[in-house]
Amino acid sequence: MNPLDKLGEEMDELLEGFTSTAIHGDLTVGLTQYTFWMMVAAIALLVLIFVFKKKQAACGLVPKGRFVNGVEFLVEYCRDDLCKGLLGDTWREHFPFIASVFFFILMNNIIGVIPGCKPGTGCIGTTAALGLVSFVYFIVVGIKSKGVLGYIKSLAPAGVSFPMNALVWVIELFSTFLRLVTLAVRLFCNLFAGHVVMGTFAILTSLFFVPVLQQITPQTLGFAGASVFWIAILLIIYAVELLVAVIQAYVFTLLSAVYIQLAEADEH
Amino acid sequence: MGVIGYGLGVIGAGFGIGLAAYGATTSMARQPEVQGRLFTVFILASAFVEALALIGFVVTLIA
Repeated sequence: MNPLDKLGEEMDELLEGFTSTAIHGDLTVGLTQYTFWMMVAAIALLVLIFVFKKKQAACGLVPKGRFVNGVEFLVEYCRDDLCKGLLGDTWREHFPFIASVFFFILMNNIIGVIPGCKPGTGCIGTTAALGLVSFVYFIVVGIKSKGVLGYIKSLAPAGVSFPMNALVWVIELFSTFLRLVTLAVRLFCNLFAGHVVMGTFAILTSLFFVPVLQQITPQTLGFAGASVFWIAILLIIYAVELLVAVIQAYVFTLLSAVYIQLAEADEH
Repeated sequence: MGVIGYGLGVIGAGFGIGLAAYGATTSMARQPEVQGRLFTVFILASAFVEALALIGFVVTLIA
């Protein structure tokens, strides 16, 4: 008897669990498991903000304590590294948008790695909406700073002569729309793939451990030993996933900031 | 078959991330003061490369 026999079945079941299913209403108007956990993340974020405000007010002039300083560190990191570093003089204008995107995605990702929870960003719908928000934002910023015609013209770099100019413009237009797709797909794929890998190792652990519970022979003891190995890999992948949760929130925000900066820049 | 395809696709992404890490480490060794900025660019480049590998992974599972 080979524990790997059941792997295909279990994998199908796992992938079934990752597709959106309605827990209330239907898929058009209703609540899927992903939107549910997204709402949980949003509520957790609101609670975090209120607790932070209260604790900060209680501290007086000098903020103290692990929680208050931790949140301040994250906000300052977002401000100094993402906004001031990339956007230059206009960082104050875009900081609210950048920070809210960063914290929303971060909260979703962190909630997603807690066992039993699902990441709100592990569904293409959520990430597509986030990508669309970022896309519309940088186009509006570009139009505001250069005017409609100016922005459309600025897609092609200045200083290129006529026939090449038009070609480059078409390519740039295409790549601008591609940004929307890549922003959405990158975040979704990272979260989805990471969770599938974690699920696979969890399944392997349980499949290799079940035989030893039924009867104890040298062979089943060997399988149980392999199961310890699988759980060690699972723990390592879990740590990597925690890292990915932060890095992907960072990457999404960083790319949004880069696109805003490109739309705003005088020369392209 | 899909699994073999994913393995082939990952070769490219592996080379890409390896090259990015190589460039980042050598330039950090030469100029340690630009470490902060280089790290940002390195993460950005790896994200671009990694996205391709992950698209391959997800397509393997779905198709």
